[in-house]
Amino acid sequence: MSVEIEEIKKPLSAALGPRQVQGTLLERPVRTASVQSYIPEMVKGIGQTMGYMLRNTKDMVLGTRNDPVLESISDGINTISYPEQKRPYPERFRGVHRLTQRDDGSPRCVACLCCSTACPAQCIHIEAGDYSGQTGVGAHGEGKQTSRAGYEKYPKRFVIDELRCIFCGFCVEACPCDAIRMDTGIHPSPYDSRDQFIYEKDLLLSIPGRFGEHLTENPRLEPGDEGHPGVDREHHH
Amino acid sequence: MKDVMDFITSSTFLLPFWGFVKALAAGMFGLNVGVVLTWVERRMRGMVQDSIGPNRAAIPLPGFVAAGAATGPAILLALGVGAAAYLNWEDAQFFRDWGMVFLQAGIFLGWMTTALIARVVAKRGAANEAEKAIGDLGGPRTVFYFGLLAHAAAVLLPELAVGLRLITAEQSVQMVFGAGVALLIFALLAGAGHVGANLAKEKTVRVTLLGLLHPAADGLKTAFKADFIPEKGDWLLFNLAPWISSFATIVVIGVVPFGPSLCFGQDASGVIDFGRFQGIESVGHACRSAKMSLQVADLNVGILYYFALGGVGIVGAALAGWASDNKFSLLGGLRAASQMISYEVTLGLTVIGCLMVYGTVRVDEMVLWQAQNSWGIFVQPLAFFLFITAAIAETKRVPFDIPEGESEIVAGYFTEYAGMKFAMFFFSEFISVVGSSALMTSLFFGGWHLPFFTAHGVHVALGDTVLFSTRLEPSLLALLGVLTFIGKTIGLCLLQVLIRWTLPRFRYDQLMKLGWRKLLPASLVNVMVTAVVMLALQSGSAELASGAAYAAQLSMLLLGLLGLAAPIALVVFLAAPTQKQRLVVNSAARYAASLGGTREANMEA
Repeated sequence: MSVEIEEIKKPLSAALGPRQVQGTLLERPVRTASVQSYIPEMVKGIGQTMGYMLRNTKDMVLGTRNDPVLESISDGINTISYPEQKRPYPERFRGVHRLTQRDDGSPRCVACLCCSTACPAQCIHIEAGDYSGQTGVGAHGEGKQTSRAGYEKYPKRFVIDELRCIFCGFCVEACPCDAIRMDTGIHPSPYDSRDQFIYEKDLLLSIPGRFGEHLTENPRLEPGDEGHPGVDREHHH
Repeated sequence: MKDVMDFITSSTFLLPFWGFVKALAAGMFGLNVGVVLTWVERRMRGMVQDSIGPNRAAIPLPGFVAAGAATGPAILLALGVGAAAYLNWEDAQFFRDWGMVFLQAGIFLGWMTTALIARVVAKRGAANEAEKAIGDLGGPRTVFYFGLLAHAAAVLLPELAVGLRLITAEQSVQMVFGAGVALLIFALLAGAGHVGANLAKEKTVRVTLLGLLHPAADGLKTAFKADFIPEKGDWLLFNLAPWISSFATIVVIGVVPFGPSLCFGQDASGVIDFGRFQGIESVGHACRSAKMSLQVADLNVGILYYFALGGVGIVGAALAGWASDNKFSLLGGLRAASQMISYEVTLGLTVIGCLMVYGTVRVDEMVLWQAQNSWGIFVQPLAFFLFITAAIAETKRVPFDIPEGESEIVAGYFTEYAGMKFAMFFFSEFISVVGSSALMTSLFFGGWHLPFFTAHGVHVALGDTVLFSTRLEPSLLALLGVLTFIGKTIGLCLLQVLIRWTLPRFRYDQLMKLGWRKLLPASLVNVMVTAVVMLALQSGSAELASGAAYAAQLSMLLLGLLGLAAPIALVVFLAAPTQKQRLVVNSAARYAASLGGTREANMEA
């Protein structure tokens, strides 16, 4: 039988078109009398199932395997018993968005519209504002002093429609300020009505990251900080 | 008052009353084993596949209530044992009768509890000093071996002490009784105390009854689900079909004898007198006057009734397919009809061989024949294989679940059914597994018969040499017969479940080919071979007949040896090392564990 296969192999591989696809012939399944008459093989299969059942039951009785009912919530059975048990997401899982904050609690976002431009689902809506005058508006509340006044924009509104969002992560890639992140580890929740899926700026700012943090590890240098390039509306190179 | 008592004890009341009890028992047996089978199927499949079992349905109880429920019966039992010992303190006969029973029960309970605690300690660590001490004894397996030793020692040591003249026989009986009562009460109280203390610590305890509540919850759920009827379907037939289907499967159990016939005396007018029990009808004893058979319907047509109802089951499935106004349903109904009719032929022809050998169509007489000669599996081995194949095809279960065919025709003939009517179809499959298993037990595995058990006791003999013989109470033998039948039936049910776990579904043409071109000719050959052998035996020499009788005795001996080998095999199997040493097995579980387990993970689905 095997000799015949060897004979067939060469002309076949030569004949497989101009790209000369190489391949090996798969052997035909063995068709012995016991396979063809079905019953011996069937008995073997049943024996195998029974063997697994008995061995696993013994392991369970002796305490090295979980009871499928009584200990189904404990670690050790491969099936995960949702919602008592939850499968951990990988570290780079893209969850619900959050807007990162600066040390003073204001958004890092500078309303450059990169994210809403990059968004293929067009689910981000930003209305830009301006830290005008000596007192900031919006970010810290009315009348508060801000060092960014006069040179930087901020988002007056920052809206994400989580129903439209396809969780591609392009907004995170596009952001030059590390202001939008998807590292919350929360998957989008179901709601009763569509308007509940519209996430406004305050909500997005309030969502913490995976470890409860609102800041990012990338430093953000304000005017006056050491290492700040000193470029703003009045002072430029 | 006396009239009422007379009426209740008269056979005019008792005959229909026992008939009703038998019907109820048979029906409940079929239904309950069906329910338990759904549970076994899920729980033990979890065991095979390393997945979870039916763990969802639970009754949450406050910890102290659960602790009370767990400890209460044990404390009552301990009190009962103590009271019995106190009341019979002077009675030497009571000591002799119950001392060893108490001692063995105490040892059994003791090592059982200790092994369970050792299992928990090995898994989670010791919670207190007592658990730590038990954990230091070794694993549950070590405790098991100690338990076996203790059982043997409890039997042997008193005998040895008496034999060596250390104590008198009377003293030994007293010591065994005292030790037995003390150990049993201690084991009961200590075990209950341990369980109760652990349960009382919990705020709420989920009572799942090992997952048995899950099928109950499923039943409840289906009862309250919407009852959908297709708009253009046939309303009458659509509603009728599940009833036909499940009726036919339940009533099949009616012709199967659950135990040996009970012999009773007759009063002057020839009516059965339930006050005069005269033993069971088995090997070496036939009922002389009146008898009550332990089967619901004492039908002369016997096994033919099974086939008749099998035919009715086809009607149910076909009607369901037709009345649903759905092409998938229609296909499923057609498949069901053609498959079941095809296999009905094989089923009938297979049984012809049995009918020829047993010489009767009555199932109880078939069992009696097997008790007197040899089990059907030895007399008609090929017929058994053909019968179990055809019977699984009749129940429409894997690997013959073409009529359902989820991968091709949605759910086949019950695609349009929802709620309780769906559950009736679903359930009738499980019940028909029980029914066919009960019938196979009676046809091929000797029904209620155990090897070497006669109408009077145990009698082991080979030819004329009697190896062992003892007498037993007829009522005990009757009870043993019923338990044997139930055990065998459950064993065959498990075999069918195992087949379901193992085999993939046949293709439709393969199914038909198997039925008509393999099983049918094989069953015809079986009939012919049986006829030839029977002719040879009947017209042949006396040596041939005695040789057949000797072979029958050998087959019984083989069964007895198998029965003895089973416990030894169990111990050997337990002695083999466990396969799974680590609790965390696959990569996903290991990843989850490294992130703090599946309940503590920071990022979670």
